Amino acid sequence: MAVSARGLVAERDQFRLQVDSFDADASGTALLGRNGAGKSTLLLALQGLLQHRGLVERTGRCAGVFARPAVLRGSVLWNVAAVLRGATGVDQRTALKRSKTMLSSVDLSNVMNLDARRLSSGQRQRLALARALALEPQTLFLDEPFANVDADGRPGLRALVRDYVARSGCALVLATQNLADVTTLCKTVMVLEAGRPTELLDVGAIETSRNPYLQAIVCEWRLLP
Amino acid sequence: MFEIAARSVGVSLTATLIASCFALAGALWIVYGRTSWRSVLLGFFNLGLGLPPVAVGLAVAFGFWRSGPLGSLDLLYPPAAMIVAQTIVIVPLIGTLAVLALRAVDPSLNDQLAALGVPVGSRLGLLARETIPGLLAAALAGFGRAIAEVGAAQMTGGNIDGQTRVLTTATMLEVGKGEFGAAFADVAVLLGIVAIVAGGALVLQTRWR
Repeated sequence: MAVSARGLVAERDQFRLQVDSFDADASGTALLGRNGAGKSTLLLALQGLLQHRGLVERTGRCAGVFARPAVLRGSVLWNVAAVLRGATGVDQRTALKRSKTMLSSVDLSNVMNLDARRLSSGQRQRLALARALALEPQTLFLDEPFANVDADGRPGLRALVRDYVARSGCALVLATQNLADVTTLCKTVMVLEAGRPTELLDVGAIETSRNPYLQAIVCEWRLLP
Repeated sequence: MFEIAARSVGVSLTATLIASCFALAGALWIVYGRTSWRSVLLGFFNLGLGLPPVAVGLAVAFGFWRSGPLGSLDLLYPPAAMIVAQTIVIVPLIGTLAVLALRAVDPSLNDQLAALGVPVGSRLGLLARETIPGLLAAALAGFGRAIAEVGAAQMTGGNIDGQTRVLTTATMLEVGKGEFGAAFADVAVLLGIVAIVAGGALVLQTRWR
């Protein structure tokens, strides 16, 4: 399972993204960079949701989680089941069963019959993750998936994604500002600045990088107890 | 009276159903399509909002006259021509309101469903479901305009007793004859029908919050 791009050029709202070469597999690639550096734009282009030039290849079923997940009118359970049925064509009974299991994995069992529009932003991110993982994708695109999740809930969700990737061999591309996400889920880091990759390094090399942005992230992480 | 009221409802409801299909397809294309032609269709919808029904009626009647381009279909004066005219009159209204209803939905929802591998057909179904209250209001507005208009019904139907007479054209006729009591009765029935449809839509919208 893998996703790759060659000579990728995409434009969005007068912002230009140019990535000559990109590869990701089950070892996980993290996209780091300041706000507006092009992380989300690259994710959209890799998912084929943005008009672009160049070659992008994805293998198998893909699933993407946006930074601000949109929900459908209806219950939390229906949100997962409807997408699962629409995307895979499984029957309703199977869809509901798998949806309940996934919602339980992201600790949303207690609200599965609530109107999804009433969920908090953190709960919406949990729902979005459940919706994506229920599809059992072979390529997973995550855009700051745990940003609004409560601090003590994040390790569990990271472990959920990590275990799924390890079990399925699913390729992972993750945009984040959080070093814990990177170290838990990815082996490779691509740093973006103004729409262009400026560094491609192994996750172990982040601490010794001279990139000011990476140094700031590492410094902030060290300050945490 | 009952026959005229039933014909009014039948013609306008049929026109509303047909117009809603065209208007919804157009609205989905305007909101989620990726070509610049979308704005041309939106322009037509906006232009159509001010379209005088009598002008549409004249154009449709001209088209269906025996010597007209569609004369061989022999549709003028049976209710079919009235349905065609009313459909043309209300497509822009339903379409414009449907565009507003679709735009009220999270603009990234379509992309998010696409990112989850939901195919375009299922996606359109899910997006339409999101907008049901707004679309119901749009269809109701279209029905209201269709059943209340008189110009297109008169031009294409001819107000023939027992065939194409509807409540609005009957009201005009009664006023012309000086039969104001009958005219008020027609209008009361018309208002009653609109009230019943509006009540039904309200119940559906309340259930579908």
